[in-house]
Amino acid sequence: MLSYIIRRILLMFPTLIGMTFIIFAVIRMAPGLTTAGAHFAPGMLGAHQSQLAEEHFMERRLHLVNRHGQPIPLAIQYVQWINRMIHGNLGTSIKFSEPVTKLVLQRLPVTLVINVISLIIIYLVAVPGGMLAAVYHGRLVDRAFGIGSLVLYSLPVIWVGSMAIGFLANPDYLNWFPSAGLHATNTSHMSYLQYVLDYAWHITLPVLVLSYGGFAYLAKQVRGSYLENLFMDFTRTARAKGLPPSAVLLRHVTQNSMLPMITIIGMTVPGLLGGSVIVEQIFSIQGMGRLMYQATYARDLPVIQSMALVSAAITLICYLLVDIAYHAVDPRVTYD
Amino acid sequence: MTEITSPSLLETPLAPPPRSYWSLAIGKMLRPWLVKLCVLYIGLVLLISVMVPLIASGKPYEIQIHTSHGWVTRFPLLVDLTTRDYLTFLAAAMLIGIILAWRLTRHMEMQRRRQLRMTIAGVLIGAAAVGGAAVGILHHNRFDGTDYRSLLKSGAARGAVFAPIRWGYAEMEPLSKNAINELPSWHHWLGTDRSGRDVLSRMLWASRVAMGIGFVSQAIALTLGILVGALMGYFGSVFDLLGMRLVEMVEAIPTFFLILTFIAIFGRSILMIMIILGVTGWTGYARFLRAEFLRIRQLDYIVAARAGGLPLWRILFRHMLPNGLTPVLVSASFGLAGAVTIESSLSYLGIGVRPPTPSWGGMLNAAGNPATVFHWFEALPPGFALFLIVLAFNIVGEALRDAIDPKTLS
Repeated sequence: MLSYIIRRILLMFPTLIGMTFIIFAVIRMAPGLTTAGAHFAPGMLGAHQSQLAEEHFMERRLHLVNRHGQPIPLAIQYVQWINRMIHGNLGTSIKFSEPVTKLVLQRLPVTLVINVISLIIIYLVAVPGGMLAAVYHGRLVDRAFGIGSLVLYSLPVIWVGSMAIGFLANPDYLNWFPSAGLHATNTSHMSYLQYVLDYAWHITLPVLVLSYGGFAYLAKQVRGSYLENLFMDFTRTARAKGLPPSAVLLRHVTQNSMLPMITIIGMTVPGLLGGSVIVEQIFSIQGMGRLMYQATYARDLPVIQSMALVSAAITLICYLLVDIAYHAVDPRVTYD
Repeated sequence: MTEITSPSLLETPLAPPPRSYWSLAIGKMLRPWLVKLCVLYIGLVLLISVMVPLIASGKPYEIQIHTSHGWVTRFPLLVDLTTRDYLTFLAAAMLIGIILAWRLTRHMEMQRRRQLRMTIAGVLIGAAAVGGAAVGILHHNRFDGTDYRSLLKSGAARGAVFAPIRWGYAEMEPLSKNAINELPSWHHWLGTDRSGRDVLSRMLWASRVAMGIGFVSQAIALTLGILVGALMGYFGSVFDLLGMRLVEMVEAIPTFFLILTFIAIFGRSILMIMIILGVTGWTGYARFLRAEFLRIRQLDYIVAARAGGLPLWRILFRHMLPNGLTPVLVSASFGLAGAVTIESSLSYLGIGVRPPTPSWGGMLNAAGNPATVFHWFEALPPGFALFLIVLAFNIVGEALRDAIDPKTLS
């Protein structure tokens, strides 16, 4: 087991390095970041630009040309960039005038918590749903389930999100939920329970909007893998030896249907991260997705490249955890 | 050539022509009425997106204007169309002609069918090329700011024939009328938006952006995916190893983050959005095609083709691709749904298509800040249009997937 994990982690590095290549190459293609663009002298940006933007450009210039004013070769620039990354220096945000590392550390937990809650809810709803549809396959429940999940899957997040706010969080209609943010303004006067309830109240709509597409996708996969195992020989044997149907379903079939469910966690996470850009923007949540959006809007390249890297790293770590879980559930799986 | 040149030796004369894997799969896919409906709906939206300059415009097709020479007949709408509009019409007509020709010659004998199809395609492409050249040389569109409605009202013009929807996508009601955020009425069938523009007209024009970006971006993605996937699957070894690593790297960055990165760097013109969605969306296609090619290249007929000394491109694209493309086609249907969704999300966030060009996402955003002033009658149509087209693509994709399932193909 340990050797498997170590080997799997080592295999992660080539992908990670390749990804830094891609991100570096893409960012280097940006106009204004070539050596030509780095020849900004202090004061050239005009008074309306912040001091920090100027500092940023000077910093860039430092990284792009050597002290004789000659361009530093790309390969060396890349190595220097990686070196700064490893030391936790992701650069300085132009828009927020703050170190990117600090911004990321502020925003990451918000997004992660919402995504993990969504993931849990997706599994809690989709697994029983898919199981039910598989058991009653071909009947009305299954049909309704199939159509329902396709419809849910096709509903655009932007529409559902704005409709949800428009009707459920709008004083003109139903004012059930808050329309923005994660906390009320008076959190300092709350007891712990009140704080948790307030938080739950605030994230209800965002989590629902983020997860409804995932239900449909996962439930369909669950139904497929249950269906496959329902007709296997071992299921027939279990039935034939007189086990009650619930035991057959919950023990024999479920255990064998777990594998695809684990894989799907890995496939859902990038989608959830991407979806959080939209959801956090709609619900004004100060998370990573909103940071990415704000950075894109302001062309804040240091933030953008760090966001791409961080989100990719999260995805890779997810893949790693999924593979390890896979190995733990089914020891037959190896990496040879 | 591996085709048997004299089919009559092998077949009885009355035997129906052999049907390809594709035509079997597509025929089976089209069996349920719901799927047929979806395909028709997609076709309708495509048709609207091509023909929309003729359907929704503030300029009349034909109008008689009183000048110093008496009443003069003018065709403002046709003059106002851009060269690109005319070329789009030509291309669409050519495509429809080719599809019709293919369907009509379906039951013919193989040899004749092939000859006839090639002739028709040649004639159509030639005609389109000649037409395109003629449009390019003869047509010059000028800016026309005439307000034909007030001309009609003042009596300086008569006998106008308007398009079915009498408003252009950027045409505003005069501010004096205060006709912003209107509810649906006889005058504006779906109401007006916050600038007093007709919502229905904008809805139809937005289908052009959605379908254009969807189809072009997926065409780019398909081309890239097929090239990379074919190379990986056919050659294997080093190509496969490097290619799969590349696919993994691109896939590890969440797609939406990757797209935002590209947009921040390369800008967001419509063409750029098409290219960006194409460049970030090819990995799935490459994966599918690779898997198919790994399987197919060991089949007897490929070994035979290779032994026969056929050139590589012919083996790859004439013998392997038609048999390996069907799973890719399935994911292309879902890819289209995804591309349309992503385009509208980008426009919703304000980093997609630039206003005043209408997009369903942008119109949703323009329906007001949902938490304070929310004009639900403006948010309903674009959201619903988006939902319907994505649902249609998904249903077709599901049906295709079921149709190519080897357990049920007959």
